Amino acid sequence: MRRSPDEPFTSELVRNKRVIVCCGAGGVGKTTTAAAIGLAAAMTGRRVLVLTIDPARRLAEAMSIPAGGAKPARVPAALLSGGGELSAWMLDPRVVFEGMVRRMSDSPERADRALSNKLYLALRDLIGGMQEYTAAEALHMFHVSGDYDLVVLDTPPSRNALEFLEAPRKLALFLDEKIIGVFLPHGGGGAGGLFWSRARGLVTSVFDRIFGEGFMGDLGAFLGGFSGMFSAMREHAESVRALLTGESASFLVVTSPDPAARTEARFLEDKLREMHLPFAGYVLNRSWAYTRGLTPPDTAGAPQTPDTASALRKLEALAAHESALAARDRDILQALKNGGQSEATATPHLGAAIEDFAGLTMLAEGLLDAHPDRD
Amino acid sequence: MKDIFDKRTVLVSGKGGVGKTTVAAAFSRAAAAAGKRVLATEVAYETDSPTPLADLLGVKHATDDPQRVSDNLSMALLTPHAGHLHFLRDALPMRMLADAAMKSAAIRRFLLAAPSLAEMGLLYRMLNLLRRTRSDGSFEFDVLVIDLPATGHALGLAQVPSAILKVITRGPVYDAVKDGLAMMRDPLRTGTLLVTLPETLPTSEAIELARGIATHHVPLAGIVVNRVPHNPFSPAERAVVDALALDPQRTLGARTLPRLDRARESLARIESELGRPPMILPEIIDEAQVEARVFAAITALAGAA
Repeated sequence: MRRSPDEPFTSELVRNKRVIVCCGAGGVGKTTTAAAIGLAAAMTGRRVLVLTIDPARRLAEAMSIPAGGAKPARVPAALLSGGGELSAWMLDPRVVFEGMVRRMSDSPERADRALSNKLYLALRDLIGGMQEYTAAEALHMFHVSGDYDLVVLDTPPSRNALEFLEAPRKLALFLDEKIIGVFLPHGGGGAGGLFWSRARGLVTSVFDRIFGEGFMGDLGAFLGGFSGMFSAMREHAESVRALLTGESASFLVVTSPDPAARTEARFLEDKLREMHLPFAGYVLNRSWAYTRGLTPPDTAGAPQTPDTASALRKLEALAAHESALAARDRDILQALKNGGQSEATATPHLGAAIEDFAGLTMLAEGLLDAHPDRD
Repeated sequence: MKDIFDKRTVLVSGKGGVGKTTVAAAFSRAAAAAGKRVLATEVAYETDSPTPLADLLGVKHATDDPQRVSDNLSMALLTPHAGHLHFLRDALPMRMLADAAMKSAAIRRFLLAAPSLAEMGLLYRMLNLLRRTRSDGSFEFDVLVIDLPATGHALGLAQVPSAILKVITRGPVYDAVKDGLAMMRDPLRTGTLLVTLPETLPTSEAIELARGIATHHVPLAGIVVNRVPHNPFSPAERAVVDALALDPQRTLGARTLPRLDRARESLARIESELGRPPMILPEIIDEAQVEARVFAAITALAGAA
C-alpha cells in the first residue's frame, strides 16, 4: 500500500515492522514517543510490547500499568480501539540478566553460584552499566517469545544512545575464550601455551597492583562462575545483532527543536548508517510544527473591563509568537528531511509532558494519520 | 551562590534537554572573567561522541589535553581512557608497563566491558587535572567545571566510589577512589549546580535529584531554573483571558497560558520543598543571544550576596 504524500512515514512502520527502536538525546520525550509508537501499532490491530527504561511515573499511570512490575503489564482493553493489544514493561536489568543466566546455565545450582558471587553482587547495583547489556537481551527475548507482533524499545538514556548495541559486542569480545582465559584461574580450557601464560602474567601483575592483591582471584571466581555460559552468551549477542540489522527492524531517531538535541540526532543517524542499522527517519517531538486544527483566539466573548484592551493585545502577541515558533519548527522539520534524503514527521504539541491516555492517543494519531505539516 | 567561584570543582548536572551545557559554558566564562583559571570539561565515553560544550566554547577538536580557549579559560574532554592510562602510569613502576597494559587487548576490553570502571577512570582523571601545578607551585587550574552527561549525573558519580570501595579494599584504586570521594563530599571544594526547567516533571526530578545528592553528601551549590518564560499578564488581565475559556490544544496563544502557570508553580515548589529560592534564567527565543544572556545572568548571580 502506497501512502499519500501527507501520511507520516511512521504509519507504514507501525503496521509492518517487528522491532522498532527509538533513539535520541535525553529530554526529547523519547519514552513518550516510544509509548505512542506502540499505541499507534496497537490501534492498527497488532499485539505490541513497549519496553521502556525510565518511564515517568505519570506515563505508567496514563497507561494504567504498575511502574515496577516483574513482567509486562497489559493496558486495559477498554482504553484501546482497533482490536490490538498493548503491553508495557519497565526494563529491570537484574530480572533480565538473571533470567538469561538461568536459561543458559546447565544447572540451577550453577546459576545460583554465579549469581551469589561477591563481585557480581557488587556490580549488579551499578544499574547504569547493566541497562545497556540487558536492553538488547530483553528485546530479543520478547521478540522470539512469539507473544508480540511488534516490540518497541526505548533506548537507555545514555549520551551515546547506541551504547546498548555496542554493549553485547563488547561483552562478546571480552567473552572470547582466549581473552577470558587470561582472567581464569586455570586458563579456561582453550587457552594454553607460552603466549597466554605471559599474557596472564602481565594481566595478573597489573591487576594485583592496581586493584589490590587478591582481586584477580575474585575476578577469576566471578568469571569461573559464569564460564560454560560464555559461548551461549556470545552466540546470543550475534543473534541480537542479526535481528537488529535485519529487514524486520527499524530505528527511529526522536528529537526536539533544541539545537543540541538536533546535533545529537544527526550524529545518531550517521552512526546508525555507519553500523548498517536500518535508520527509518526522524520524529520531531515537542515542537510547534504540527499546526492542524489550530485557530487564532476568538476574543468576541471577552468581558468588558478596564484591563480588556491590554489583555487581548497581549494575548494576540502570544498568538503571534506561537505562529513564529510554528514557522521556525516547520523549517526545522524540512531541514531534518534533508532535501528528501531522510523521512521526518512532527508530533502534535501537547504542552506539558503527557497527562493521560487521551494525550497519548493524540500523539499516536499524529503518527498514523495524514496531516499536512505545512500550513 | 557568591562563593561558587571559589570551589575547585563545579559539577553541572541535570536531565537532558534542560540547557545544562549552556549553563556550564556560561559559568566557565563567568568564572574566568572573575579572574579564576578555569578548565571547562565535558564527559566523552567514545572518541566520536558529540561534544556540545566544546562546540559552545568554539573548540574545534577537543581532546584529553587542555586547550586554551581564552585568557584564564581552557577546555578538555574528560574520558575514561585518559583516566585509566594516567592511573596505570601512576600505579605501575614503569611507564612502559602502563602503556603496554593499555595496549593489551585483554585489559582494554576488560576496562570497557566492566560497569563502573569507566566512571572510576573519570574520577581519576578529574583528580589528576585538579592536582596539576605550575612551576611556581600554584594549581594550574583554580576551578574545574564538569558538564556531566544526562545520565551519569552527580548522583551516579557519587554512587560509583562507594560501590567500588565495596569490591576493592586496598591498593591504588582504593586510595584514589577514597580521595575522590572525600573531595566530592567537601562543601568547601565542591559544589553542584542542578539545572532544570520550569515544568512539572523536570521540577519533580530536580527535587528528587537534590535529595539524592544530599544523601550521598555531595554539596549542592544551587538549583538553576532555565528558560523561565516571561509572564506578560497582570492578574486582572489574566482574568480577562481566562474568561474567554479558550481551548489550549486548539487555539494559538492559549497554548502558552498553561505553561506560564506551570512555571510559576515550579518555582514556588522548588523553594518550598528545598528551602531555598532557585536561580532564575529567563527564556530567550533568539538562539544567537542565549549564551551572552546566560553569561550576564550568572555573573550577576555570583556577584550577588
